[in-house]
Amino acid sequence: MKLDRRTFLTASLGLAAGASTGALLNRPKYHVTRRQPRSRVAILRAESYSYNLESILHSGLELFHLDLRGKTVLIKPNLVDYIPGNHINTHPLLVCAAVECFRRLGAKNVLVGEGPGHQRDTELVLLESGFTEELRQLKVPFVDLNRDELAATPLLATYMGMSRLWLPQAVLKADFIVSMPKVKTHHWSGVTLSMKNMFGVVPGAKYGWPKNILHWNGIQESILDVCATVPVQFVIADAIVAMEGNGPLNGHPRPLNRIVLADDPVAADATCARLMGLDPTRITHIRIGAQFLGNASTERIDQVAEAVCTPANPFEVVPEFQHLRVTGSPKRDS
Amino acid sequence: MHDTQELNCACVQELIDRQLPEGGWPFTTVTTQWAVEPTALALLALPSNSVRERDAAIRFLLRTQNANGSWPAFSGDDEAGSGLTGLALYALNGCCALGMATNRAVQWLTESRGWESHWLWKWKFRTSDRHVRFDPDKFGWPWMPETASWVVPTAYSILALKYARGISQQDLVHLRIRRGVEMLYDRVCPAGGWNAGNGVVYGIPLAPHPDATALALLSLLNEPPNHFITSSLDWLERRAETCFAPWSLAWTILALDAFGRPTELLTDRLASVVDPTEINDCATLAVVSLALRLPAGETAFRVAHET
Repeated sequence: MKLDRRTFLTASLGLAAGASTGALLNRPKYHVTRRQPRSRVAILRAESYSYNLESILHSGLELFHLDLRGKTVLIKPNLVDYIPGNHINTHPLLVCAAVECFRRLGAKNVLVGEGPGHQRDTELVLLESGFTEELRQLKVPFVDLNRDELAATPLLATYMGMSRLWLPQAVLKADFIVSMPKVKTHHWSGVTLSMKNMFGVVPGAKYGWPKNILHWNGIQESILDVCATVPVQFVIADAIVAMEGNGPLNGHPRPLNRIVLADDPVAADATCARLMGLDPTRITHIRIGAQFLGNASTERIDQVAEAVCTPANPFEVVPEFQHLRVTGSPKRDS
Repeated sequence: MHDTQELNCACVQELIDRQLPEGGWPFTTVTTQWAVEPTALALLALPSNSVRERDAAIRFLLRTQNANGSWPAFSGDDEAGSGLTGLALYALNGCCALGMATNRAVQWLTESRGWESHWLWKWKFRTSDRHVRFDPDKFGWPWMPETASWVVPTAYSILALKYARGISQQDLVHLRIRRGVEMLYDRVCPAGGWNAGNGVVYGIPLAPHPDATALALLSLLNEPPNHFITSSLDWLERRAETCFAPWSLAWTILALDAFGRPTELLTDRLASVVDPTEINDCATLAVVSLALRLPAGETAFRVAHET
């Protein structure tokens, strides 16, 4: 792109004019509506990472009456990197518990797939974060989404200005995609939950490490476009030990002792944000996502199992996202 | 199977078995979609007596070069070019496959640059976006056009330009190499080594990655000794003590060996953890083979004398 100063000034004036008539991001740019009349979210208590997680998760999944018979389930955990002592990744025991549960529910195939954003050596992340051994014991296949076969896919929302993305076949062929984020704050996007977790399906083989085009085109916009195009059918969020502060890599552990299940990624992320003491309506991709990808309002969410308990001390965030924090006394939503 | 030469033969045979009919390699065995990174690394790894396979790979790379001189990342990719262009050119240079292809690739590489070098983004990084600590005047190469510089494509590009022979515009090439080298020094992690890009974000030092560090070091092989190189080699040696992943371990061995650091124990460990038939990723298989060849005195990375 050739952009001289004159073009820049002209574009700036144009942008200013646009901003005065309404935020550009708020203009609908989606060609699909996934929002259901109501969504269901379950908050489960889990004190620690243990082999007991399977029974906790199974009891929670029974609340959703999922029919997975004959389906290929792709579990997408959040595996970013491995830094000893930092709670960066979705815990392997929770992922393995999910594998077992989906098998018990009749899934034909259960795969685990991820395309780490920075670390090119996916096997290193798997080995050092304890995944390799756990997945081997369960004989569950792992797909490196950064290096899978790719197909050009039209985007079903165009907030970031691209018309298509190359996506991995393992993602495109899956019947049921489960986003399993680690509940964390994020220094560029405010939070990284089930929707932001889907950045991991964007292949490094095309877009590099990191998937820098998504940053240049706007993180919030990219999250919306990816989630519109790759439907997340279910969410299992790891909030047993979450992360606050300078996430996604260098924050501090914050135990919440919860697992959040949902049949809607927007509802899941809005609920996780409330559990973090953050206002979901101030998080751009959740607010815009609530127009077409799911429900953020508590009035449209059937809350089952535990109620949402807002913490007295909201999660720490970097200075740019202080406005996300809900101040005031803790309260229960339902 | 712990004998390194025997193991390397098995790696090479696996690579030959996985070569696609058109001459390239896919990333994994579950697809026939070729990709440039495994293809170029496999070409580097194939021994000189694999004449037929090497010729097919060379012809394949020459055939898949974009009209603008770059290489796509994989079959079906658009023709704007990818950050793997440097690696493709380096592999061809290693096979003495010179000619028009080299000149066009060099031309593309001299014109390609990270977008932080654009005046608008320089202004942004110097005024509003101060959380990533880097100097946008020091730029390398991006993974794809219109994005920022990153360590791996920069290292691949520097390697390619340093080894390119018989090219025109040598002053420009020299200048571009210098700019890329400056970028690597600018982005080094505070305690040595390289992450994917910046060394510091939000005031927090990022953890280096073994493969990015090794590649950056290989691209700096003929640079004057300095603190950045020494501290990165030291970091890589320390990190290697607990590294068991074949891709990272193999790159680590290649870099440490190139700088004359001992690698015998690491090579033994690599030999003990890999089974060529179990390595699904062809790029990893090729790098493992390159590392296992070192004890026989064969190296794909040697000191270059800048043009």
